[in-house]
Amino acid sequence: MTHNPYTTFTPVKTTKSYESAVAVKALSPWADGEASPIRGDIHQMQDVLSALDPLSYSRTRNHLGGAVTQLSPFIRHGALTLDHVRNLAIERAGKKDAEKFVQQLTWRDYWQRLYRRNPDMIWDDVEAYKTGFSPNDYADELPEDVLNAQTGTACIDQFLEQLMSTGWIHNHARLYLAAYICHWRRVKWQVGAKFFLTHLLDGDPASNNLSWQWVASTFSHKPYFFNLDNVAKYSGADINTKFNANKDIAGSYEALAERLFPYMEPRR
Amino acid sequence: MSAMIWLHEDALRSDHPVFKAAGEGAEAIFIWDDAYFQREGYSLKRLVFIYELLADLNITCLQGETEQLLESYADGRSLFIPQTPNPLFKNIIDNLQKKHNVTTVPDIPLVIVPDDVDLRRFFRFWNKAKKSALSPSTGPLL
Ligand SMILES: Cc1cc2nc3c(=O)[nH]c(=O)nc-3n(C[C@H](O)[C@H](O)[C@H](O)COP(=O)(O)OP(=O)(O)OC[C@H]3O[C@@H](n4cnc5c(N)ncnc54)[C@H](O)[C@@H]3O)c2cc1C
Repeated sequence: MTHNPYTTFTPVKTTKSYESAVAVKALSPWADGEASPIRGDIHQMQDVLSALDPLSYSRTRNHLGGAVTQLSPFIRHGALTLDHVRNLAIERAGKKDAEKFVQQLTWRDYWQRLYRRNPDMIWDDVEAYKTGFSPNDYADELPEDVLNAQTGTACIDQFLEQLMSTGWIHNHARLYLAAYICHWRRVKWQVGAKFFLTHLLDGDPASNNLSWQWVASTFSHKPYFFNLDNVAKYSGADINTKFNANKDIAGSYEALAERLFPYMEPRR
Repeated sequence: MSAMIWLHEDALRSDHPVFKAAGEGAEAIFIWDDAYFQREGYSLKRLVFIYELLADLNITCLQGETEQLLESYADGRSLFIPQTPNPLFKNIIDNLQKKHNVTTVPDIPLVIVPDDVDLRRFFRFWNKAKKSALSPSTGPLL
């Protein structure tokens, strides 16, 4: 008799996410953290699809509280196709009003195509940094205060907290965190990307790593960075954007660029 | 003999084209591979999300090491696998192909463009893909 290299199990539907967490802990006692309030519930996904409003999406999507869908964890795991969401969006709003939403869906398709073309290069710099620094100037580890959401920059700490507890943050918050980690803390994009993949429910090497590279400037013409005014513009009252609590990211773009990228060559 | 489907983490739904390709009576399995999850660094949140999606699927769930398990569990059956860019999975598929009859099945695409389309920057791609992206497919609407 040969020994079976496996055991079978039957996943059970639960009414609370902590019940699923107990079942998962029994399977994988090594797994760290808590369950997210965002559930892998197909009925909730259907409710979101029923409420899909591409026009209000295009008007508000840049705001942290805007009409974005939170469908990404379902799409990432193939529980929902981009094709299906696109068809629904066009049926509901028509091509013109659905265009911005469909363009965002196409970003995912684009990253996936790049990944398929070069699957083994998903952790490599696509191009050189355009920040005036070389890869060796960036740290190989995430600072403890980032891991503990205690950087001292209030809004960054709130975004970190949300990422680690729920596994989903808005695209703009992802941009802010990636820019903060790469440019303010000068950490390699790969390190930040790995940290995101640990926590995001929609964690996907293509969308994630290539977006990090877009921020870092290894897959774009210039680094992406932001300032406190920008965070204040796009966030609601729940995010602390007071100057005294966010001094490190406050200032004009010119002043911040001089501080963050002192050796960057001006673009011609 | 009916076929077997390896439904991996990129394709957790029961109307993926892989089911049609594999034909009636095919057994679909998901492999809960701790070594893989640990290597990817998944936190409990992610595993719970996957677990909850699995609870909605009527498939066989097995816990073990992916490649070894696929080898022994297939037991001579043809294998159907959703196409994936994941290099670890691709490597497993390459190895399986040496001994088994393996078919990979792509998902329904969002856009139809030539395979060698220019991918250097998104907006170049968008210009080529826009027309197709804005043309609804004839796929089913829920
Ligand atoms: C640093 C960084 C890391 C990211 N990591 C991931 C990741 O690991 N996985 C992931 O799916 N997305 C990632 N994104 C892209 C984007 O932030 C998320 O897809 C989006 O915020 C998910 O929320 P939503 O479902 O409400 O999106 P919506 O705005 O409602 O969009 C609908 C769907 O379109 C797709 N989509 C929208 N915008 C993008 C985009 N810019 N890139 C790729 N797909 C997009 C997603 O599948 C999304 O679910 C990342 C972005 C940044 C800046």
